[in-house]
Amino acid sequence: MRVVSAVSGVMVKELIRKKDFYVFLGLLTAILGFLSFQSFSGIGGVSRYIEEIGYTLVMLFVFIIAVTFSAKQIPDEIRNKTIYPLLAKPVSRGSLIFAKYAGSVLVSSLSFLVLYCVYAFFCINSGGGAAPVLYAQGLFLGECFVLLSCAMAMFFSVFLTFSANVTLSFLVYFTFGFFAEPIREAVLRAEGAAGLALSGLYYLIPHFDLYDIKVRLAHSWPPVPLWVLTVVGVYTALYCFLLLFVSEKIFSGRRL
Amino acid sequence: MDKAVSIKGLRYTYGPSGGAKQALKGIDLEVGKGHIFGFIGPNGAGKTTTIKILLGIMRSQEGSAELLGRPVGDVKVRSRIGYMPEVANYYGFLTARETLMMYGSVFGIGKRVLRERSAELLEKTGLSGEAERRIKYFSKGMMQKLSFAQALINDPDLLVLDEPTSGLDPLARSAMRKVLKSLQSEGKTVFFSSHELSEVELVSDRVGIIYEGGILGEGPVGELIGGKEAGQSLENYFLQMIGEGT
Repeated sequence: MRVVSAVSGVMVKELIRKKDFYVFLGLLTAILGFLSFQSFSGIGGVSRYIEEIGYTLVMLFVFIIAVTFSAKQIPDEIRNKTIYPLLAKPVSRGSLIFAKYAGSVLVSSLSFLVLYCVYAFFCINSGGGAAPVLYAQGLFLGECFVLLSCAMAMFFSVFLTFSANVTLSFLVYFTFGFFAEPIREAVLRAEGAAGLALSGLYYLIPHFDLYDIKVRLAHSWPPVPLWVLTVVGVYTALYCFLLLFVSEKIFSGRRL
Repeated sequence: MDKAVSIKGLRYTYGPSGGAKQALKGIDLEVGKGHIFGFIGPNGAGKTTTIKILLGIMRSQEGSAELLGRPVGDVKVRSRIGYMPEVANYYGFLTARETLMMYGSVFGIGKRVLRERSAELLEKTGLSGEAERRIKYFSKGMMQKLSFAQALINDPDLLVLDEPTSGLDPLARSAMRKVLKSLQSEGKTVFFSSHELSEVELVSDRVGIIYEGGILGEGPVGELIGGKEAGQSLENYFLQMIGEGT
């Protein structure tokens, strides 16, 4: 626990002292502010756009923060040689991986919370606004999204360079975050060995589409049933555990 | 002799078998508690590899090593060790005080004690005026001082220093020597590597010479120099040992 607290404390200071987060916060505020201004200019139904575009932007920005933060932790420690004084202390490689993951989740969750509050503020002030329970569900699913994004980037970081990690993470995110439906249809249509292989691949790759409730928010649909949220939560926990377990095994055997 | 460091038949080879470089060729070494041991050798001799294996950062491929009577893989023994790496790189966005607090908290030291200890170490290393400055603005010498301070944050029984004086001015070197001597008087052991032989001669009571992955000689400085030819320097002795002396 002391390692997690020391390492994540440093990462929170990095978030506060570097510009990255403020750029995203400024950008989100500017875009949502501009869209809100349009509603005062007489364009009707703009609140729906704010809810949909705003949610997409929040998730995208949080994904960028989560992936870039998680992806650089281990490679940067090795490149800058800051890993040596850490591992020379009572810190095992496994606890370092877990501490870095916990730090990345903390940093990304804080960012998500701030960005989500800005988003909710603009949604409510633009005359729209879904039921509070939907916003709470968005918060829960967003947190699951953060957990999985950080775990995936942390997993890639033990054997990929920073740029390869970010590229691959974005490929997975965009593929399943935006094209989940056509991919699902293609997988269902495929037959024989190819169908089996595609199905395996389809279920193996993290499903970021599970966390997306922008349509429900934009159209004020009923909240997600509790059992669905439970299944998504269990899926996230199992997937993160598996990714971190394999990351620890690979990193422990790695020559530094 | 109560041993702080014990190495038996340590071997390590870098790279694939075709283009492999044997960094350690089965070295044996023992350092008693309370000594300042200088581990000397030219660049690429195997000093840093030995230190990384001792600290559990790298795993030996053959042989064994113990620190303070415990195997080097034991994470718990590292709570009694302080380590100053060869290249002093730390998180640039932290201040000097925060850096010490961070490394100290890894040992589970309480915040109040840690604050006092950080202030004391910053004073001891001449960095108290820079305590609240972010370390990305530090010079190489200041980074070395901070690196030395972080190695002392847990009040270690064994201090492992890799090229500690590189980048330090003569005043800072002298101050570091004083700190090392005072640590020795408290019963602590210092194991430090260097290729600056004059520095080693000034501070060590025992030395070990490593060259191309093998130990060429080990013993008290005076005995090694006097045993060869009275009045000669450690540098001359070292050059003779590696076959470069006149």
